[in-house]
This record gives sequence, C-alpha cells and structure tokens, in this order.
Amino acid sequence: MKKGTIILVIPTAIFSAVLLYLVIWNAVISFTNWSLLNPKISFVGLQTYFSVVRTFQFSNSILHSLELSASLVAIGNILGILFAGLLYFLSSNKARSVFLSIIIYPLAISMAVNALIWLWLFNINIGIDWLLVRIGLPQFPWLSSTSTMFPSLILVSIWAYTGIAALFYLAGFMNIDKSVIEAARLDGASAFKILYKLLIPNSFNSFIIATALLFLFSFRIFSLPYILSGGPTNIFLQTAVVYMYYLFTVEFFSQATAVATIITVIASVIIIPYALIIIRRWIRK
Amino acid sequence: MRPVVKASLHYLALAIVSILWLIPVYAMIVNGFKSNLEVLSSPVLSPPTSLSLTAYITVFNALAKPLVNSLIVVIPTSFISAFLGAMGAYFFYTLSYSFSKLSSVISDVLFSLIALATFIPYQATLIPLTRLIVSMGILDTYIGIIFAMLIFYIPTGALLMSMFVSVIPRSLIEAAKVDGTGDLKIFMKIVFPLSMPGFISTLIFIIIQSWNNFFIPLILVTTPNMRLVSVAVQSYTGGYGTLYNDTFAAAMLASVIPLAIFIFLGRYFIRGLIALGGGGKGV
Repeated sequence: MKKGTIILVIPTAIFSAVLLYLVIWNAVISFTNWSLLNPKISFVGLQTYFSVVRTFQFSNSILHSLELSASLVAIGNILGILFAGLLYFLSSNKARSVFLSIIIYPLAISMAVNALIWLWLFNINIGIDWLLVRIGLPQFPWLSSTSTMFPSLILVSIWAYTGIAALFYLAGFMNIDKSVIEAARLDGASAFKILYKLLIPNSFNSFIIATALLFLFSFRIFSLPYILSGGPTNIFLQTAVVYMYYLFTVEFFSQATAVATIITVIASVIIIPYALIIIRRWIRK
Repeated sequence: MRPVVKASLHYLALAIVSILWLIPVYAMIVNGFKSNLEVLSSPVLSPPTSLSLTAYITVFNALAKPLVNSLIVVIPTSFISAFLGAMGAYFFYTLSYSFSKLSSVISDVLFSLIALATFIPYQATLIPLTRLIVSMGILDTYIGIIFAMLIFYIPTGALLMSMFVSVIPRSLIEAAKVDGTGDLKIFMKIVFPLSMPGFISTLIFIIIQSWNNFFIPLILVTTPNMRLVSVAVQSYTGGYGTLYNDTFAAAMLASVIPLAIFIFLGRYFIRGLIALGGGGKGV
C-alpha cells in the first residue's frame, strides 16, 4: 500500500487507538483495588467485580438501564411503525417532511435542556397536571412519587428518541417497490392492511437498525436522570452510567472501572456485530 | 369510509402527535417571555399575558461566556472531525476493493473500533479520560475539551462519511489511478468535492452532537469561567427560589443554535442520522 494511502487513515487510527487505550486501561484497573482509601494499587483478580456486583446499587442501576432500554426499544419500535405509517400515506412530500421534523426535533436539543424543560412540565401544581386537573382528570405524581419517577424518565426518553425509529421505518417503507403498493391499493386494500401485510413484513432491516440505535442511545442516557434527580445519588433514577459516575465522585476508582467495563462489554456485544454486519453491508454493495 | 373522512382522520392523528411532541418546545418559547411577577401565578402551559425580556436579560448575562466557550470548542471539533473522518472513510473505500485477506482484517478491526467510539456509552471512559487529559496538562482548557471530543467524533465522522463516500462511482477513481495520481491527491481533488453534501451532513450532525454533549465538559471543566453552555444550564434546574422564566430562557439560549440549524438545515441532520443506521443510499 502506498504512503499517501496510509496517511489518510492516520488521524482516525490514532484517535481510535486512544479510545481503545481508554477501554483497556479501564479493564486493567478493574482488576485492582485502587480507591481513595487504597492509594497503593495491587492486583486482586476478580474481587472488585464480586464485591461490586453484590451491592444493591449495582443491581438496581443496571436493572434501571435495562428497563429503560427495553421499554424504549419496545415502545419506540411500536410508535415508530405507527408514526412512519402515518407519514408514509401522506400524499404531500412537504407535509411529510414537516411532520417528520416535528417528531425528530427533540434529538437536536441537548438532553440536559430537555431535562430542564420536563422538570417544570412534571411540576404537580403548574405543569401538565394543571391541564389534567382543569379537564377533570386526576393529578399524576410524576417525579414526586418513587413509583412514578422512573416511568416519567422513560416517558421523556420515548419523546426524545422515537423519532429515530420512525425515521428508519419510514426510510424502509419508502424503499419498498411502489408498484406493489399501488397494485394492492387498486385491489381495494386499506391503508391499515397495506401497512400490516406489506410494509411491516418488508422492514426487517429497519427493525434491526431502530432496535440497535434505540438500545445504544438509551443505554448511555446520562444527563436526563442526572438533572431530573439533581445529581447522581437518587437511587430511583440511577442508571448504570450514573452509578458509575457516582462511584467516581466518591473515589471508589476500581469499582467505577469495573462497572465501566461491564457497561462497555454490554454495549460492544451490540455495537460490533451491528457495525460489521448491518453498516458494512451498505458500504460493500 | 369516505375518502374525505379518512383523510381528515389521518390529519387528526398527525395533529395530535404533533401537539404532544411540540409541548416542550412550546413551553420553552412562551415561558421565557413571562415576567417575574407573572411566573408566580401562571402555569407553565398558559401563554404570557405580556412580553417581558427580564428573564432573557438576566440569563444572557450569565450564559454569554458559556455560549462563547461552546462556540470555541464546537467549531474546531466539528470541522476537524468531519474532515479527518472523511479521509479515514476514503481509506476504507480503497480497502474495500482490495481482495487481500490482510486488508479485510485491518478494515474490519478499524471499522469495529470507529463504531465502538461512535456508539460507546462514553461515560464509561470517565476515569482514564480524565487521567489522560490531566497528564497531558490540558485539564480545564479548550484544547483539553476539544481533544477529548475528537476521540469520539473523529471516528463518528469516519463512520458517517464511509456511507457518503461509498456512493462515489468507482470508475472515476480508477481513471485517476491509471493516470498515476496518489490516493491523498485523489481524496482532495475528487472524493472530497464529490462528497460535499455528505460532508455537510456529517459536519452538522457533529456540530449538534458536540454542542449538546453534557458529560465531557462536565468532567473536564473545573472552573466556572470555562463552562460550556450545555453544563451551565444546570444551575437553572427547578427548586426553591428558581423562577421558571429563567429556566426556560436559559433552555432557549442553550438550544437556539442547534434548533436554528435543525430548522434551516434539518435535511442534512436527518441524512446524518440515516447514515448512522447504515442507509446512506436511496433515502
């Protein structure tokens, strides 16, 4: 290979190597007992993992993360299909792009800002509840009750990320041969039947992409629980990344790296096959 | 059902979804203009009775420096990431038509790495990243934040640009190769200009992502003077003593740049999102 060709990839390779270095460093430190109380580092094998995995906070936060991801994947896919269906059957391209933008715009705003706005919308006196009470519905406790706190966070993430699923389903629907749809329509098939019998069965690729992206984005949501609960310590909103940040702030370094490594492994199990199979397939074509 | 009824039901459903989705941005726009007095008695969803700029003036004084800081970080980060990423993407493109076993292994390993850098919960690198930045002596500097962001956004740039570069016809590049032109020159003269729309999509995607990045500036900034706007808005979370017109004015100031980009150049942002799913073509 010529020198000029190699130069092209050097910047990308260097920064990717730095990332790899960070990930490996994490993994190495997770096998030690380094913390504020233990400034002298020694290797302790899997002991840190055993002690961290047994804590209530670990299982609590990892369950929250998985619950958030599972809810977002399930509800995001269902709403994504419905919204994409609504958009697909619009006859005007202009209207389609306006509605698509309305569903996607939360992605252009920072999650920290979204959290600020929703904090006030969740206010039980002057937020959404004010409207609910005015139209005769009961007040919903949102963030002021421990049992509705986490569902409220899921609600915000659905609002923020469903647009991605809708986008990929719409892209998938648009790629399906128009003549088949037209033929079905001439046979008198309803829009709902076309969606159910033709569009959805032919959108497996969209399903994989939407699922992978919804999982990966939700798995790293940090600022939303961080700001909704005013810091990393609220166990009702603590997700895995927030818990890891909490361990760092109290200087339990080896435990933080152990949690970080677990998070990285879970994410990589999705990322690497997704990259090599789904994304590469498009480039090789 | 009659077609007219069907069409109106269709639009009704879309209108309901749109209204639900627009509530937060509606709240953000109207509430920043309420006066301090009105905030005490008016709910978040009702429009202001008169327009007051008090909240914007208060908040702008506090956020002017963070806004400038964000611009200083985001502009170089996004341009460097998109451009260097484009170079990396063309490297993948040249590898993809070599059939040697070695180059396909290299390309798979590197591609997995850039995908990892793009999608990893980057919070997981918190401790080593902080240590690296501290040991380089660039904690709490613009260079430090930019460097940390480049670790994640150059690979993102390479991943997105791979989609856009892959549609360039092979014949064009082969013709240049026959003339003996090197790959670096082919990149500058042919690939980069031809993938300009893709470059803009990648650039805009990275501008919005880095502008909104909360975690990296949270951990790498230690003095108030260096805070980026995404972190500075944190001081406007609700709680006793906070007037919500300030919160919403702060939210608006922090979002006005990404929102303006989204409104005027949204199709590029959407193309960037689609590339994230590997579908740069035909959409």
